[in-house]
Amino acid sequence: MFENLVTYHRSVSPAERRVSRFILFFEDVVKIPLFGCQRCGECILSSTAFICCQQCPKRMRNGPCGGTGDDGSCEVYPDRKCVWYRIYYRSKLLNRVSLLTSVKKIHNWNLEGTSTWLNVFRKRIDPPVWFVREEEREQGGEQG
Amino acid sequence: MTLKEKIESGRFVVCGEIGPPQSCDGDVLRYKSKFFKGNVDAVNITDNQTAIVRLSSIASAKILLEAGVEPIMQMTCRDRNRLAIQSDLLGAAALGIRNVLCLTGDHQKFGDHPEAKGVFDLDSIQLIAAVARMTRGYLLSGTEMKQAPDFFIGAAANPFAEPFEMRLIRLQKKVDVGAQFIQTQPVFDLDLFARWMERIVKMGLHEKTAILAGVMPVKSVKTLLWMKKEVPGVKINERYIERMKNARDPETEGVAMAVELIESLRKIPGVRGIHLMPVLWESITPTIVKAAGLKRRSR
Repeated sequence: MFENLVTYHRSVSPAERRVSRFILFFEDVVKIPLFGCQRCGECILSSTAFICCQQCPKRMRNGPCGGTGDDGSCEVYPDRKCVWYRIYYRSKLLNRVSLLTSVKKIHNWNLEGTSTWLNVFRKRIDPPVWFVREEEREQGGEQG
Repeated sequence: MTLKEKIESGRFVVCGEIGPPQSCDGDVLRYKSKFFKGNVDAVNITDNQTAIVRLSSIASAKILLEAGVEPIMQMTCRDRNRLAIQSDLLGAAALGIRNVLCLTGDHQKFGDHPEAKGVFDLDSIQLIAAVARMTRGYLLSGTEMKQAPDFFIGAAANPFAEPFEMRLIRLQKKVDVGAQFIQTQPVFDLDLFARWMERIVKMGLHEKTAILAGVMPVKSVKTLLWMKKEVPGVKINERYIERMKNARDPETEGVAMAVELIESLRKIPGVRGIHLMPVLWESITPTIVKAAGLKRRSR
C-alpha cells in the first residue's frame, strides 16, 4: 500500500522552462494574494480548502503538527493562526473534509518555483480536485 | 521477547523515556538505563528533543542495547533530508535497533540553535510511509535493497490539541501508512482522553495499532504550571494543579497521581500500554512501576 510516495521528475527542456516562467507570472498574480501561495510547484490547494499549507513553518503537507494552541495559534509564530487549523475549519465549511484524508506525496524539490499549471498539464503531478461527490462528503464527515 | 512480540501477545506494555545528555558522556545513559532495566519493556531515546543538540539517538540506542534495555529510537524530520533519514535508518538496523518512533520534530526556534535551517523534507506521515516501504525492501527512490531492515514502526498522537477532528484524520493516515504503535502526549485530562479513545475505538484504530497512553510524573506544581503555559497542545486539568499545590510532600503526591492515572488509563477500552515520561526524574520509574503493579516478571 502507498508505494507511490514520490513524484518523479522528467527532465525539462530549456524551452519548457521558459514557458513555465511565463505561466508562473500569471499564476503568481492570482495565487499569491488569494491563497498565500508559496510556489512549491506541486499545488494541493484544491484539497486544502484553498489555503496554501506551505505557509506552515514546518511545511507540513498532511495536517498540523502537535503544537497548535487552544486558540488555534501557531507555536512558532504565536501571532499567526496555525494554517492547518484554518484549513480544517474552512474544509468543514465547504464540505471538503474528505479531501484531507488522503496522504499527500513527499514534495519534489525539483518542482519548487515552477508553474503548477504547466506541471498538471504535463502530468507531472496529480490534477486538482474541484468537486466532492455527495457520498464522499458523508464519508469524510463521519471520519472527521 | 521484543516489544513487538509483547504487544502482539496482548500484554499491557510499559515504555520509558531517556533524554541523551548534552555531552559525549555515554555513562549518563548507562546510569539512567539502570532505572528502566527490568521495569519497562522498552525505552524511548529522544532525538535532539526541543531542538537542543544532544548525543545522537542512534548512538544512545546502541548504548542502551548493550546495557540490556530495548530502545525505541526516535527519528525526526527536522534535522535530516530523505537521504540522511534513510541512511541513518539503515545504520540503526545494522546496529540491531528494531523500534523506530517517527516524528516531525520540534521547530528549531525552540532550541539552542534558533537560527538553524529546519529541514522538514518529509513530515511524520511521509516518514512512517518511507520506513514501512523500507521494511518491504525498497528505498524511496525505488531501488530494491538486498536485505530489508525489520522495523517496528511507532508514531505519536496528540489527543489534546486543536483542531481535534483533524488529529483523528491524521492518526488514521498514520495507521494507514504503517504505524504499528502510537504513543500519546502526556495525559493530564482523563475525561478528554477517554472521549478521544471512544472515537478511536469507534473508528476501529485500536485494533490496527497499539495505543500507548502517555503518563508524565511531576515533581512539583511548578512543572505543571510551566507545561500549561509553555508547551502548546498540552491540556492540564485544574484538579491536578490544585492537588499538587496543596500537597505536603509534592514528590509523593506526584507518584500517587501518576499511579492513579495509570490505573484509570488501564480501564479505558483500547489502551494497550503506558508510555512513561519521567523527564529529568528517571530515578522514580521503579517506584511508579511497582506501585502500579506493572513490574515485569522477566526480561
